[in-house]
Amino acid sequence: MELSVEYIRIAAYLGAGISVGLGAITTGIGSGIIAGEGSRGVMKQPQANDQLFRTMLIGQAAAQTAGIFALVISMLLIYGGFDVADGGWFRAAALLSAGLAMGIGALGPSLGAGYSGGEACKSVARMPKHGNAIMGNMLIGQALSQTSAIFALVVSLLLLYSVPLQPEGLAVGRILLKSISLIGAGLAIGLGTIGPGTGIGYVAGRANDMLGRFPKERSKIMRTMFLGAAVSESTAIYSLVIAFLLIFAV
Amino acid sequence: MELTLAQGIVKAAALLGAGMCMGMGALGPGIGEGFVAGKACEGIARSPENASLITRTMLVGQAVSESTGIYSLVIALLLIFST
Repeated sequence: MELSVEYIRIAAYLGAGISVGLGAITTGIGSGIIAGEGSRGVMKQPQANDQLFRTMLIGQAAAQTAGIFALVISMLLIYGGFDVADGGWFRAAALLSAGLAMGIGALGPSLGAGYSGGEACKSVARMPKHGNAIMGNMLIGQALSQTSAIFALVVSLLLLYSVPLQPEGLAVGRILLKSISLIGAGLAIGLGTIGPGTGIGYVAGRANDMLGRFPKERSKIMRTMFLGAAVSESTAIYSLVIAFLLIFAV
Repeated sequence: MELTLAQGIVKAAALLGAGMCMGMGALGPGIGEGFVAGKACEGIARSPENASLITRTMLVGQAVSESTGIYSLVIALLLIFST
C-alpha cells in the first residue's frame, strides 16, 4: 500500500481534534460542578467565603489536569513534526490512536475530580473549621483519580514516540494487523480509564463529604478511601497491560 | 510468517476487539467499585465501631464487582494470543 505524507497529516490532525475535543467535555463539567457547589457554599456560609474560594480554585485547577494533558497531546500532534513521509501506516495509526487514548482517557478522571472537588466545597461550607483537612483529602482524592489519566498520557506518548517505523516490503495483511492493533491499544486505555477515574472520584467525594460531617473519624475514613480507590484502580491497570501488549507484543 | 490479506483482516479485527473489550469492560467495575468504596466511607463515618465489618463487606463486594473486569481481561488475552 502506498502512503503519502497527506495520510499521516490527516491522522495527526484528526487525532489532535479528537483529543482536545473529547477531553474538554468532562473537564468543563467537573470544574462547573466545583464552582456550583462553591457558590452554594458561599450562600450558606458567607463568613467562610475566603476558605471556600480557595478550595474551589485549587479543586478546579486539579480537575483541569486531564484537560491539560489532552491539550499537550493535541499540540504535539499538530506541531510535533509528525508531517514526515517515513513510518507509513504504522505511524498514521499510532498518531490517530494517541489522540483517541488521551481524549477518551480524560473523560473519567475529570468527572471524578470534579465530583470530589464539589463534595469538598459542600463539606467546607458545612465545617469551615476543618477546611484544611478537607482540602488535603480533596487533593489526595483528585490525585488518585487522575492516576488513570496519567496512564492514558503514558500510552499516548509511547504511541507518539516509540512505535517502530513500518519496514519495507511488508505484506498487506501484516500492515493492517499492526495498524489496527495500535488503534486497539488507544481504545483499550482510553475507554478503560473512564470507569476507574469516575469511581475513584466518587470514593473521594463521599470521603470529603463524611470528613465534613464526622471530622473525628478522619483516619478511618481515609484508610477506607485508599483501600477502595486501590481496588477500583485495578481495571485501569488491566487496560494498561492490554494496551502495552497491543503496542509491543503484536 | 506471511499473512494473506484475509488472515490479516481477521487478526486485525481480533486485536481491535481485544482493545475495545478491555476498554469497555473496565468501565463497569471501575465505577461500581468506586461506588462501593464511597458508600463504605459513608458507613464507616456514621458507625465507626463497625469499621472492620464494613471493610470486609466492601472488599467482598468489590471482588464480585471486579469479576467482569477479569472476564474482559481473559477475553482480551484470548483474542490477542489465540486467534
